[in-house]
Amino acid sequence: MGAEAVRVLVVDDSPVDRRVVELLLRAAHCGGGGGGAAPFHVTAVDSGKKAMELLGQRRSNRLSTSSPPASADVSEQAIDIVLTDYCMPEMTGYDLLKAIKALGSPNPIPVVVMSSENEPQRISRCLTAGAEDFILKPLKINDVQRLRKCSGVKPKTAVMNSSSFEVSHYFQFIFKFILLTYALMCLSQLFHRWSNGSFLSLWCA
Amino acid sequence: MAAAALTNQLNALVNNMFAMGLLDDQFQQLQMLQDSTAPDFVSEVVTLFCDDGERIICELARQLEKPNVDFDRVDSYVHQLKGSSASVGAQKVKNTCIQFREFCQQRSRDGCLKTLDLVRTEFYDLRSKFQAMLQIMNRKAESTEKKKNCDAEAEGAS
Repeated sequence: MGAEAVRVLVVDDSPVDRRVVELLLRAAHCGGGGGGAAPFHVTAVDSGKKAMELLGQRRSNRLSTSSPPASADVSEQAIDIVLTDYCMPEMTGYDLLKAIKALGSPNPIPVVVMSSENEPQRISRCLTAGAEDFILKPLKINDVQRLRKCSGVKPKTAVMNSSSFEVSHYFQFIFKFILLTYALMCLSQLFHRWSNGSFLSLWCA
Repeated sequence: MAAAALTNQLNALVNNMFAMGLLDDQFQQLQMLQDSTAPDFVSEVVTLFCDDGERIICELARQLEKPNVDFDRVDSYVHQLKGSSASVGAQKVKNTCIQFREFCQQRSRDGCLKTLDLVRTEFYDLRSKFQAMLQIMNRKAESTEKKKNCDAEAEGAS
């Protein structure tokens, strides 16, 4: 059974970087990330402003409809994780991170920041502001797994395995309870006959 | 030309680019991701890089021609070029961009102009090799397609 798609919003002002990340995330599932690993559905925008507009749109779509759309169009559903570049004009990745956290959602969208600069101050600033992770560019195939973990989307097989485990655990409990009850009944029978003095007749029967 | 010969030609070209320091292991990562599910991965990314790089270099030349150079703006463009070079594995261009940024920090117009010439030369050299690589890849794809069609016809005939 296929895993639920991880819906990633990629925010980067560089068209090359946007495309590389997009293709890398798609190829990571098809190439080597199979075996139940969640595929990525990628939406890419070139600025923090567009990212906020899109997130606002998706949020109001979800609030205005009581049930998911019948066509189950992944592109219109909520975003599971935002992957943003740090250095962008007008609205930096850090500004975007703070804006997303300021939305005050009960389930805030995880944000991962990426940058080509390995600056400890920048990294700690982003993590303190609530970023799930900080990835150094250029993105590599190993970084895809980190992204998957940060998204918090469980593969369907894991959910199925945990529910079937609970069911078998329940049946085991019931079986043990029945055995214990039967054993107690036998013991009480024995005690009753012994107290009536018919213990010997029990052995002879 | 047969697909095998084209493959050898392509490998020789790419190996030469690695040997000359034009490419680094990031390009190898991109090559590894190219398979039947993403057959145009490398050509798409390389084409985007060539177009975007050309745009940035033109913009840099324009900015540095101004009487009052906005070094922060220049630095921002160089940062973009450095980023996209790193993403495709264009090692030499990336390293020159690092030097370029230092001259931007120093607010040195002469330093920036000299480094721009160097970046331009290296970028055009890389671009011509990328274009040769894409031509070989296209010819190889055509050759493979032709062979498939021939095999299918032969199977149908038999």
